[in-house]
Amino acid sequence: MEYFFIFVAIVLTQNFVLHYFLGICPFLGVSDEMEGAFGMGIATTFVMTLTAIITWNINTFILEAFNVEFLEYVTFILVIASLVQLVEMFLRKYLPELYETLGIYLPLITTNCAVLGLALFMVLREYNFLESAIFGFGAGIGFTLALVIMAGIRGELSEEDIPKPFRGTAITLLVAGLLALAFMGFSGLVPS
Amino acid sequence: MFGPVVIISASTMAGLGFLFAGLLGFAHSRLKLEENPEVKEIEDILPGLDCGACGYPGCHQLAKNVVSGDAPPDSCVPGGEEVAEQIADVLGLEISSEPGRVRIAVVHCGADNEEKKRIGDYEGVKSCRTAELTTGGNLKCEYGCLGYGDCARACPFDAIEMVDGLPRIDPDACTACGECVETCPRDIIVIEELDLKGDFVKVACNSEDEASAVREKCEVGCIACGLCVQVGPSEVYSVEDNLSRMDYSEYGEDADFDTAIEKCPTDCIVRFPSPGEASETE
Repeated sequence: MEYFFIFVAIVLTQNFVLHYFLGICPFLGVSDEMEGAFGMGIATTFVMTLTAIITWNINTFILEAFNVEFLEYVTFILVIASLVQLVEMFLRKYLPELYETLGIYLPLITTNCAVLGLALFMVLREYNFLESAIFGFGAGIGFTLALVIMAGIRGELSEEDIPKPFRGTAITLLVAGLLALAFMGFSGLVPS
Repeated sequence: MFGPVVIISASTMAGLGFLFAGLLGFAHSRLKLEENPEVKEIEDILPGLDCGACGYPGCHQLAKNVVSGDAPPDSCVPGGEEVAEQIADVLGLEISSEPGRVRIAVVHCGADNEEKKRIGDYEGVKSCRTAELTTGGNLKCEYGCLGYGDCARACPFDAIEMVDGLPRIDPDACTACGECVETCPRDIIVIEELDLKGDFVKVACNSEDEASAVREKCEVGCIACGLCVQVGPSEVYSVEDNLSRMDYSEYGEDADFDTAIEKCPTDCIVRFPSPGEASETE
């Protein structure tokens, strides 16, 4: 049950994008098309899950074992950057269209604060291995969910006659705010 | 000299660094991308502006499509003949047709600073887009050029110069990339395809107002009287939505525009420089 709560919490009540405001840049940048948004979500989920698994191991068996926890930022960034490189190579080879769609936002996963935030939260909350893995995977799913919902709304909006001064970034930020408000409705779903 | 913490930290980081470097190196060797070397070669020839005038998102995409045969070697607009020849060389192709027509940006407003009628002073940011969004500008005419030069700033080729509150397009520098068309909040600039040997003539007005309204708002606006259609060449002109428009696909090199230019009661049919002509007159 514990594991289930962690998952629900990170997907809905404590969604990285809509609750912690982490990872806003791809959330706004790649959410104009459903296909790109979903691809970005999956790529980030992959990176997040692996980051959680790898960083937990490194943190527990290397950093804590040798008493050098202050290296966590550097090592986590190293892990994340390597994983993103891996994803980038993979996409370029097997899904070149998605690679073109994501463009600059793909390497930007490296500095996506949601991914580093995930690794740091994990350490802070002293999760065990399985909890960390679920937390990482759930964070990715939550991120994908936020992106896909946003892309859906923006897809609908592109057909609408929006008042001129609101077009573009302005309406996107308003939608993001309302979405965050809507996700507030999930709070209380998980006993804290 | 170094404490144990330093040594442990350094060796930990070095170990992890080598580990990930090794993993990435291995992954790279397995996932290496085999790209057609011709694509790279053509991309090097292309100007690298990523302007999008060819219709593809960037030079890399164009290079790919040229190699696969989906795009002709002379697709690159800013590169012109020189680039087209080099590309054809790489691919062993011949460039077929003589370029007889040219695509160029045409400004459909002819009211300069003196002729513009204003309803007040505009003190805001000197940008057409801002003026249009906030107050709608201070011109009487809702269709006319606001004159703050957004198009000139948007032009990646410095082909637009603001003269007397109107954009002047340098026909030799213009590549018809369409940045100015995108930028202009009043859609005054249109990309047209003209015959290089023919006259370069345009209707310098974009107003769909009725004649009485146009007369009140502007001295050089089109009042849709239809004289140009009468004196011809009649297949070129057509009056729609209270505005005379020219169909450039219908005019050849020997079409005579002098009568229409002369007869137009508001002088809004005008000549503009064609490529080559501008540099000749200087």
